[in-house]
Parts: sequence; C-alpha cells; structure tokens
Amino acid sequence: MRSLFRGRFLVPALLLVSVGLFGLLVFLPSASSATSGSSTSANTGSSGAGLKANSGQFPQTPGSSSSPNQSPSGDGIYNVSLPRSFIAPGQALFAANCASCHGADASGTDRAPNLQGLGAGTVDFWVSTGRMPLANSSIQAARKRPRFNNLQSLEISAYVQSLAPGGVKVPTVNLSNANVGNGFRLFTLNCAACHTITGAGDALADGAYAPSLHYATSRQIVEAVRSGPGNMPHFGPGNISNAEVRDITAYVHSYIQHPINRGGFGLGGIGPVGEGFVGLLIGVGALMLVCFWIGDRT
Amino acid sequence: MIDESVRWLDDRLGIAKGGRTLLDKIFPDHWSFMLGEIALYSFVVLIATGVFLSLYFVPSAHEVVYHGSYLPLRGQRVSEAYSSTVGLSFDVKSGLLIRQTHHWAADVFLGSIAVHMARIFFTGAFRKPRELNWIVGVTMLMLGIVNGFLGYSLPDDLVSGTGIRIAYSIIESVPLVGSYLGFFLFGGNYPGNGVIIPRFYILHVLILPVIIGGLIAVHLGLLVKQKHTQFPGKGKTEDNVVGTPMFPTFIAKTTGFMFMTSAVLLLLGGLAQINPIWQFGQYEPYQISYAVQPDWYMGWLDGALRIMPSWEWVGWGHTLPLEVFLPAVVFPGLTFGFFWGWPHIEKRFTKDLATHNLLDRPRDRPKRTAFGAAMLMFYFMLFAASSTDVMANFFDVSLNVVLWTFRVIVFVIPIITYFVTYQICNEMRAAEGIGKRKRAMVVSRSDTGAYSTVTAEPRPGDDAHELDAIPVPTYINLTPEELETGPGVRRVMR
Amino acid sequence: MSDESTVKPTAPLPVAALDDPHQLPYARHPGRAQAVAVVAMIIGILGCIGFGITYWVSDQTQWEAVTLGVGLLGLGFGVTAWGKYLMAQGPFVEERHPFNSSDEEVKEITAAITQRGGIVVGRRKLLGGLFAIGSLAFGVVAAFPLIRSLGPKPGRMLFVTNWRRNSQLVTVDGRPVHKNDLEVGGVLTVFPRGFAGSSPDQTILLRIEELGPEDPPLSLASPGRSDWTALGYVAYSKMCTHLGCPVGLYQEQTVELVCPCHQSIFNVLAGAVPEFGPAPRPLPQLPIKVQNGFLVAQDGYNQPIGPGFWERP
Repeated sequence: MRSLFRGRFLVPALLLVSVGLFGLLVFLPSASSATSGSSTSANTGSSGAGLKANSGQFPQTPGSSSSPNQSPSGDGIYNVSLPRSFIAPGQALFAANCASCHGADASGTDRAPNLQGLGAGTVDFWVSTGRMPLANSSIQAARKRPRFNNLQSLEISAYVQSLAPGGVKVPTVNLSNANVGNGFRLFTLNCAACHTITGAGDALADGAYAPSLHYATSRQIVEAVRSGPGNMPHFGPGNISNAEVRDITAYVHSYIQHPINRGGFGLGGIGPVGEGFVGLLIGVGALMLVCFWIGDRT
Repeated sequence: MIDESVRWLDDRLGIAKGGRTLLDKIFPDHWSFMLGEIALYSFVVLIATGVFLSLYFVPSAHEVVYHGSYLPLRGQRVSEAYSSTVGLSFDVKSGLLIRQTHHWAADVFLGSIAVHMARIFFTGAFRKPRELNWIVGVTMLMLGIVNGFLGYSLPDDLVSGTGIRIAYSIIESVPLVGSYLGFFLFGGNYPGNGVIIPRFYILHVLILPVIIGGLIAVHLGLLVKQKHTQFPGKGKTEDNVVGTPMFPTFIAKTTGFMFMTSAVLLLLGGLAQINPIWQFGQYEPYQISYAVQPDWYMGWLDGALRIMPSWEWVGWGHTLPLEVFLPAVVFPGLTFGFFWGWPHIEKRFTKDLATHNLLDRPRDRPKRTAFGAAMLMFYFMLFAASSTDVMANFFDVSLNVVLWTFRVIVFVIPIITYFVTYQICNEMRAAEGIGKRKRAMVVSRSDTGAYSTVTAEPRPGDDAHELDAIPVPTYINLTPEELETGPGVRRVMR
Repeated sequence: MSDESTVKPTAPLPVAALDDPHQLPYARHPGRAQAVAVVAMIIGILGCIGFGITYWVSDQTQWEAVTLGVGLLGLGFGVTAWGKYLMAQGPFVEERHPFNSSDEEVKEITAAITQRGGIVVGRRKLLGGLFAIGSLAFGVVAAFPLIRSLGPKPGRMLFVTNWRRNSQLVTVDGRPVHKNDLEVGGVLTVFPRGFAGSSPDQTILLRIEELGPEDPPLSLASPGRSDWTALGYVAYSKMCTHLGCPVGLYQEQTVELVCPCHQSIFNVLAGAVPEFGPAPRPLPQLPIKVQNGFLVAQDGYNQPIGPGFWERP
C-alpha cells in the first residue's frame, strides 16, 4: 500500500480525490432543489415542481402603516398609497443623503437627473436595491447592500412623490393567482434578450450591463418593469398588463431565483462557457490524470 | 474447451497465427498513448447513451401541448422534439442522467481528440508512414464537431435554435449557391417547413456516427498494421516496440480505463448540470436569450465571427457577406485543409522523407513545437473570444473594449507564444539531463581523507533500472502439477 | 533488485520461467496491491448495487450518478490496478517488420495495372469513353433527387416579407398595437396581422421621446425617411443583418439596439446603422403611421431583411 501511494502517484491521486470532493460539493447545494424536482418525476407528474415557490408568496406589505389600495381588477398588483406621515422623515433623509446631487427639491443638477414626476416606485427601486446613493460615478449604478431599510426607502419615495404627481407607484404584489407558465413565456419574449434566459445578466454595450435577477424582490421587479431604470426599456400597462407583470414576477421569483437544477450544480447558468471549462478541466483533466497513473512506471 | 474453440475457428478462419500476433501486440507504457482511448471510450459512451435517448426523443417539429411535470411549460405549445427532450429529462427514469452524460461525453470526446491530436503533433507521430492515420484522425475531429453541433441542435430549445439560425445564415453567405443550399437544407426560407430537425436527427444518429465508427475502425486498423510509435529509451529502436502485450496486461488496463472513463462521464452527467433546456424554453425565431454560445468545440468559430470586422462586399448587383463567409466558411475550410495537409507541409520545410517510428521529444523540434503552441493559443484565443460578453460582465469591462482587445491579442498572443516556446525549447535542450531522473551521487570520504563520488543504485524510472525487453514468451514454465491443475499461487522471489 | 537481473539475453525465449523478472508483478508488494484492487472492486460492486436501489427507490439523478459513477470507478480502478500491478511487468518487445514490398513487387503491380489496363482500355477506347460518360451522367442525375428534392428554390422569397401597405402591427398574440400601448422608452416585437410569430416579418417597435414637430427625433435624420415614424414610434426589422438573430436587446438610455448573438450595436437615432461589431448594414426600417388610433405599416420593407446573400443587390 505504501508503495502505491508514494512519489509521483500521490499527485494524481490527490487531484482525483479533490475532483471527487468537488463533485460532492457541487452535489450538496443542488440536492435540495433536485429533490423537489425529482418528486414530481418519480410520480406521474401530478404535483407541480414549482408550486411551492409559487404559492409561498404573499403580498409584501411595504411599511407597517401603509394600506394596499385594493384594485378592482384583482390582477395581483396593487398600488400602495404611502401615508402622508412618511413625507417629513423622507424629506429629512433626502436632504441629508440625496439633495447634494439631485437638489433639495429633487429637480436635478448637472450631476444628477430630475426626480420629480418619476414616482415613488422609481425612487423606491433605486434606493431599496442599494443603487442609490451612488457609491462611485461608474457608468452604471451597481446593486449593493442598501443604505436604508425598507421603511426609510419608502419614506424617501413618499417625499419625492409628494413633490410632483404621476410616475410609478410603489406596488404590492400578490402572486397567489399568478400563472408561472405565462410568466415564463413573457419572460422569454421581453426579458431574456438582456437578462439572459437564466436571469444571470450579461454585459451590454458601452460598459453598461443587465444585472442579475437573482436578488430582486417582487416589489423591485414590478418597479423595474414599470419604471425602466437605467438602460432598461419602459414597459407600460399597454404593453405588459398588470396581470402579466405579476406572472413574470412569479416566474422570476420561483424558477429564475430557485431554478430546478435537477441535473446537478447549475454552473452559474451561463451556458456553454462554464460547461466547456468543466468538460475540459474536470472531464478531460481527470481522465488525463488517470492516463498518467496507468502509464506511470516509476 | 479453449483449445477446441480456437481449433474450430481456425479451421474456418485461420485465426491462430494472426490472433497470436494480435495478442502479443505491444503497447508502449507512456501515459500519453492513452489519450486517444479517452476519445474512443467517450465514443462508446456516446453510442450507448445515444441509443437510450433515441428510444424517447421524437425528432419532429410538430407542435404539441406540453403536459409533463415541469410546471412553467404546462399547456404551452411546443415542438415534439422539445417536449420529448424535456420529458426524458423529467419523466423518464434515469433519463436526465443519460441525457447529461451524453452531452458531457460529447464535450469530453472532442476535448480528448484535441489533446490526443496535440500529442501526435508535438511528438511528430504523424510523420511517414502515419500520414494517412493523421488524415483519418483530423477527419474524425471535423465530423465529431459537426455531429456535436447537430446533436446540440436537436432539442429545439431557445439556445440551440439560435445556433441553427446562425448556421442557416452562414450557409446563406456562400457566394452563388448559398441561398439555394439554405433553402434545400431547410426546405424553404428559414425556419423552413419543419424538416430540419428530422434531417439533423438522421445525420446525427445514423449517417455521421456510422462514418465516424468506420473511421475509428480504419484508425485502429492502421495502428495495428503500422504498430505504435514509441519514445526513445533503453532498448527502443526504429525497428521494435517496447511495452506491455495486448493480452492480458493491456486488455486489463484498457478495460479498466473504459470503466473509469464511463464513470467520470456519469459523475459529470449527474453532478454538473449541462444544457438545462427546460429553463430555456421552446425556440421561436423571434425570441432570443443573451449569453448564448455554442458548445465549446464550436467556440472558435463563434469567436471568429464575433471579432471579424464588418466587411461586406457589394458590387455588380451582388452581395458577398465577407464578415460571415470569411470567418465561418473560409476559415474553417483553411483550418481543416491545413490540418489535413500538415504532414506534407512539414515535409516541405524539413525535407525529411524518412520513415519514423521513434518519436521526437517536443523540445528537440523547437520550431514545430513553437508553431504548434502558437496554433493552440490562436484557437484558444478565438474560443475565448466567443465569450466576450460573459467576460465583459465578469471582469466589469466595457464590451467594446473586450472586443477590440481580442481583435488584437488573437494575433499578438500566438506570436508571443511562438517565440517564448521556441526559447524554452532551446534552453531545455541546452540544459543537461532535463527529463531524465537524476541519479543520486553519493559522496564518501575514505579513511585516508580522500573524497570520491559513486553513482547510487538505479531506481525505478531510471533507464538503468529497466530490464532488457524480451519477446512475449510462448510458454510459461509451469510445474507438472500446475499444468495438471492450472497455475496456482506460487511464491516467487524477487 | 540486483544488478545481475538487468543482464538478460535478448534472444527470443519461447519458454519463460515463472520467476523470470519479466514475469514478476510490477508491484513491489503484490499482496498489498491485490488488497487495493479487492477493496476497489468491492466498492465498485456496492456502487452498482446502490445504483439499482437508487433507481427503484428515488430516481434521484445525483444519487444515481454517484452510485453508478463510484461503481464503475471502483471496478475500473480494480481491473486497471490488476493489470498495472499484478501482471507480468515486462518490458516486452516486438520486432517491427517492414511491411513495404520489395522494389520488384512494386514494379510488378505497377506493370500489371498499366499494361493489362492499358491494353484493354487502349484497344477499346469507345467502351471506356461510353462508360465514363454514362457514369458521369448517372452522377449528375443522381444529384437531382439527392439535392434538388430537398427544398424549393429561393426565388424572390429572400427579398420579400409579409409587410404590405397598411399591414396592421400586431403583437405575437395577434393583438393590434394601439398608439397608446407603448410608453416612451418602450419596446415591443410586432408582426403584420395574420403572420404573428413569422420569422422574416419580426419587427421591433420602439417609442422614443418625441421632441416636438419642429424638433423631430433624431431617428428621422435619415434622408427620405422623415415621415416614416409616428408619435415617436419607430420600427426596424428585428433580424440582425449579420447572422439573422433577433435584435431583441434595446438599451433605452443610449438608444441602441444590440444583437445578443455577436454584439453588433445599432444606433437607433441614426437610422439603426451598425456602429460596432460585425454587422455590415443598418437594420431595414419599416415606415409606419397611425390609422384610427392603431399603428399600421405605410409600406413593406424597401430592401431584403436579414443577413447578406449573393443575390442581394
């Protein structure tokens, strides 16, 4: 045994073991999502693989004191009227954190755009995703850990909304009646060209990029669709109805953010680039090590 | 029993003499001689898994309503090809394992061919008398790439459909006949009248595999006829082969290797997800996902298409889309023409018309090695260029910058590689004893105070340690009892 | 290992002693090597059994792969170790007999071909010629069904789309596009009514901020296209002029269309001219107008859409 594991044989053996460990590691995170998928296939397919992700969503109530404005259409997206009491603390936060660039009345300066009339939803998107306040003046604001909590974000939004009417409202989303299939179809048609079909995001022209969708909350998804932040096009209700936005949100929330990776480790969802590296480095590489062991005569 | 069977066969086929030669065929021990076997056994896995898949896959563009267990697709109108591929991934037991193993096997198949080919190239194993086998091998590489693309296209998902669309446009770019070829192949203007998937299917599962299988037989037949090459070493000459015999040693090793190759492919197939088509959805010609690339072995073509400047020639009432025709038709044509012709091209430079059975060490042929390294780097850079968008995103650089960078470094880095490799080869040749195990020198001091150095005992891996090679013995000297009862365990002294 | 054992006659040995060093196992400790192979094979057997159980019990892809992978790996490792460590270590040699023939034999076969063949063909030139012509004819006519039956001739199909004068713009679901459907900064894929989902007709409809009648959007800048847009709506073929991918990526702020396949970038405000990447031509523009509140095409495309081909003028 000692002779077996001596000298040059040790290196390939260790590498093979590490390859095996890698396999095990990639297996662990995928196991949970794969189990939910396999339970469907082992049966006749009556239980939906993603029903869990779909039915587990409840309308998020933004802020404790806000009340959903029940829309009669029942399309799952309700605009929230932010209470007037939010405006005063919002103004204070705005003055301290935003006004230096956007101006005290949010009408914009030569450094930053006018925010009046964009609506509370737009502001809430930028603030709650951490993109604002801007960390540095790069081409595109990056999603980062938000500086303000949910309530503060809504307060700032309420303040900006109070300056001018119109714009995108802060929504609350009820996904319980959503049709993920329709969401998948609409996602492919409207979103995949930039965000990729797995929602991983990719680089756009001129240094911009379409961000990953894996961290977006339902509220942020709806706000982004409606307000078109940055280079994202604006999708108004004439283009994508509220019910359709709800379906897209449900799809992103379930199958984009928790993909059914039945096949094992998802390799980042970036397609053949990652697969090629794995196939060459781990597949061909491991087999070359085996060759090395077999042919070794020392 | 064995005796009777052999006699029966020999009376009818005369197998005894040739069969004995075959059993005694010597395989060199060097590990790099096993690289081609990765490809061979990947092909075996491809056939085995492919047969399984063909039992479930329906090669039809006919629209059906999906009723399987993947919820987001339920009720959508999809093609039978797509529906059956999702079905065999979700609703056929072990189906996903087999499908992913098939896909990984294709990636590894072509990867190992590339590695194997690099070994043949760098050691000069393609030289006379083996030019034909080199050509057969290059042909298999080409057919393998084509067949890989066809297979990738079959599921009719969003990503592969985009690949077919691009293939159609490439065909269309050929002057004079391009649009006719496209219409003939697809049965009409893109996306055609639904014949492309059945046509790709029959090419993928029958025509190309049969050709590749036949070429594998030729490849191995030539190998047996011409016998292996070998690296220079103790007792190894142009007129012999030193190593282990086919039976039983090589058979044992290679059978084990086949199992291990299958094992690695199965492990990849079940642990690393590949081409999750249920996430991509059905292909529609007006839909697109960002970050779509072909499988890695097509990446060099995609990269060439990306970095090509937009040179379209228009004149005399005609259009020649050079920005497509050059990188996607002329360039691969030149590439394979060059590969096919390489043994002949090299002869032009070296004027070496002799027969070679002993291999070159790469450093002893610095120009060839440097050239090969530069070529590898060139194709690797093109491959990398096929993911400009992913790179731009990953490194947070502008897409434009990445593209321009690649337009430059695709040519610059191979040139640098050439000179660096050339230099390394020459320095390795100049250095003493590189690649040989160092023999330990023992310095001892005698009673009189004089120092002397003695070379230590030979160790495994030294040429001096190796026994002289002997022909495979016809008979092994067994005791009378062992002849009676079969050889048992006899304690032998080392 | 002693030095004597390295000095061995190289002459052919028909009979080998079982204790000839060439016949010894390669492993220094064959017993241990065997133990390793035994363990590997037992693991292999267990793995294979495990696969069977997994298959029946759960059909979980990862466990199937692990069990079967470990099973085959164990068996393969065991057999390889058996071959590598426990079989006759050699080295063995095989002579390489030249397989090429003598000059005489080469001359003979060459003569056989040229002389015998030369006589019959030379004497019967007519037969040879007829057969050659016949074979050629067969080859040509065989290509008819092989190639010509495959599909129709292109004809004018690459030059035309289904967009006509007053074709109504509809979404992929067939819904007509109303002038209020898109917000400024919106994007929508449209088709002519009756051809929703058709590949060559796919058109991307954008709505760009209209700066007033006397200060029209820059997309009108192309000469002769000043009235091709309406209410800031502008429509371009969605088929990339490079390789025909759908140019579905619209960067609203920079007003650029990007092809997701090979990253050609089209400047919408300058008539969708390619300003970066491999695409050679602008995206063809579809002239549109508003009729009864809905968007319709003024006319079809004035040029072939999509990638270049030989017959394109």
